[in-house]
Amino acid sequence: MKPRTEILISGFGGQGVIRMALILGRCAVDQGQRVTMLKSHGTETRGGYVRAQLVISPDYVDSPVVENADLFVAFSAPAYRKFYDLCSGKVLYDPEMVEDIHDDAADRHVEIPSRALARDHFDNALFANMVMLGALTRLAAMDLAVMKDVMVDVIPRAHEQNLRALDLGHGLEVVARRA
Amino acid sequence: MALSEELVAPWAEWQESYQDGQRLLEAGTYALTEGAVAAGLGVFAGYPITPATDIAEYMSKRLPQIDGYYLQAEDELAGMHMCAGASLGGQKAMTATSGPGYTLMHDAYGWAIVNEIPVVVVDAMRVGPVSGITGAPGQGEFYVSRYCSHGGNIETIVLSPNSVQETFWLTIDAFNLAERFRTVVTILTDQVVADMFEDLFLPGDYGALSDIVVPRRHNLTMPFFPADSSEIDLPPNVIGEGTGVCVSPYTHTEEGYDIEEMEAQWSQTFRLINKIRHHKDEILRYEAVGLDDAEVIAVAYGATARTVKTAVLEARRQGVKAGFLRLISLWPFPDELFERDQPYLVCELNYDGQLVREVMRAAPDKNRVHFMGKSGEMHTVAEVCEALEGVAKHQKMPQQPYIWTEVR
Repeated sequence: MKPRTEILISGFGGQGVIRMALILGRCAVDQGQRVTMLKSHGTETRGGYVRAQLVISPDYVDSPVVENADLFVAFSAPAYRKFYDLCSGKVLYDPEMVEDIHDDAADRHVEIPSRALARDHFDNALFANMVMLGALTRLAAMDLAVMKDVMVDVIPRAHEQNLRALDLGHGLEVVARRA
Repeated sequence: MALSEELVAPWAEWQESYQDGQRLLEAGTYALTEGAVAAGLGVFAGYPITPATDIAEYMSKRLPQIDGYYLQAEDELAGMHMCAGASLGGQKAMTATSGPGYTLMHDAYGWAIVNEIPVVVVDAMRVGPVSGITGAPGQGEFYVSRYCSHGGNIETIVLSPNSVQETFWLTIDAFNLAERFRTVVTILTDQVVADMFEDLFLPGDYGALSDIVVPRRHNLTMPFFPADSSEIDLPPNVIGEGTGVCVSPYTHTEEGYDIEEMEAQWSQTFRLINKIRHHKDEILRYEAVGLDDAEVIAVAYGATARTVKTAVLEARRQGVKAGFLRLISLWPFPDELFERDQPYLVCELNYDGQLVREVMRAAPDKNRVHFMGKSGEMHTVAEVCEALEGVAKHQKMPQQPYIWTEVR
C-alpha cells in the first residue's frame, strides 16, 4: 500500500456518490487502513455537484484534502470539468454522462459504461454506482470480498443485484487491463 | 535527528490505556455524541442546524437507549437554558449548534457561567458572514466563544478538536472540565471536523472509563458561590434534593441572594475570572511538532491544522525548517506557547483575522506574525508550503489568490 492514496468521486446528488465512498472507506478500515472521507453537502446536493474526497493510508492521515488524486471517478460532466486538474492518476468516467474528455491523457482515462450496464442487467440505472465501485475496487487494488461484505452491511436491500453489479464492474476487460 | 513531536492533552494517555473496542468509519458528529454518552450525558436540548443537525439526530436516537432525555427546543436560546436547568437538576447536559444559533445563546451562556452551572456547548462553525453557506467550513467564532455573554468579568474555557477520533476524547474532557470548573465549556469545532468521516476507535465498555470520567457530584450546602475563591473541583450545586440554591443573572451573595453591593460584585467577579486563570495549566492542551529548530512556526486549530501539518512536514522535506503548533485549548489563550522569538504563520478560516490577533499580542515581535486567511474552503498543502518558504527565506508572505494576508 502506498503511503497515501487519494480518491475523488463526484457526480450529481442521488447517484450514490457518498454511499460509494462510505463503502470504499469502510472496506479500507476493515483492512486495517487509516481513512478520511470529506463529503460535500448542502446546496451542492440540490442541483450542483456532490463530491467525496477519500484518503487511505497505513498511517494517520493529516490533510484530508484531495489535491492530487490517484483515482478520480466522474459521474457527471460538470464534475469531470471541475475536478479534472486535481487528478494525476486514473480517471474513471461514464461515457453516457461525460461525453467530452481531455484528449491529452488517453492512457489515464478508463471508460466504464456503468449506467448502460446497470440498465442492461438490472433494468435500473441506479445500480451504476456499484458497477463503478467494482471497477474502482480493482483499480485501487482493494479486496473484492471485503468490499462485498461491507456493501451488504451498509446497503439495506437489493443485495443480490448490488453484488452482481460489483462483479460486473470488477470483471470488465478494460479494468482488468488497466489494473 | 527525529522530529520533536508533542501532544499535551489528557487523551494522549487515555488512548494508550483503552485498547479494547471497535474500529468504525464514522463522522465527527457521531464521535461527539458517543463522547458525550461515554462522559455520562443525561440531557441534550437544542435546535438542529447544519452542520450540527446530525448531532441532534444521533442524540435523539442514542439518549433514549441509556435512559437519557433528548429535547427538541423551540430555539437555541431555550435549548441552552433547558440544559442549564437540567444541569441544576443533577444531570450532565449538552447543546449543539452552528454560528447562527450560537449567537442566540448569549443570554443563556451568561446565566450558566455566573451561576456556575456545568454545561457543554458545541459550535460547529460554518463560513460567514452571518448565515453564510451551510456546508462550508469557517472559523469565525473564535472571539465570540470567548466573549459569549455580555457584561465582561468572566473567563471561558474553549476547546477545539481536529479529527473524528480526537472529537470523541475531547468531548469527555470537555465534560470533565465543566464539572471541575463548574462552568460552561465550549467545543468549537467546524463543518469539516463535524461532517468528515474517519476511522474511529470506540472503547467497547464505557463503564471502564470511570477512571477518566469526572462523575456528577451534588453540593447541597452553603456557601453555594464561594466568594474571593479560585478553588476548583467543588461539587456543582444541585436543586430538588431537599435543598435549593437561588440562581439569577444578578450579582449575588455566597448563598445565592441578589445583592447590590460592590464588595459582593467584586468578590463574585474575582471567583469567576480567577477560578480559571489560577488553573490555566490544568486547561492547556496543544500539539507541537519540530519547534526546536524551527525558522518559522505555523499556527492553526481545528480542521485547518490538518492540512497545515501536512504542509509543515512537506516544507521540511523541501528544506524549510518549519514548526507546527496546533492549539486545542483556545481560551484561556495560551500566551505561554508563543514565547519563542521566531516568525509565526497563522492559518485560519476567516478573512478578518481572529486567532492571528491573539498571536500578535502574545508573540515577542508582532511584526513577524503573518496571517494566512482563507474563507469557506480549506487551505491547500501547496499554498501553505509556499507561504512557509516565503516567510522563512524572504521574511514575507507571497501573494496568492483568495488568501488574505492583511490584518491591519
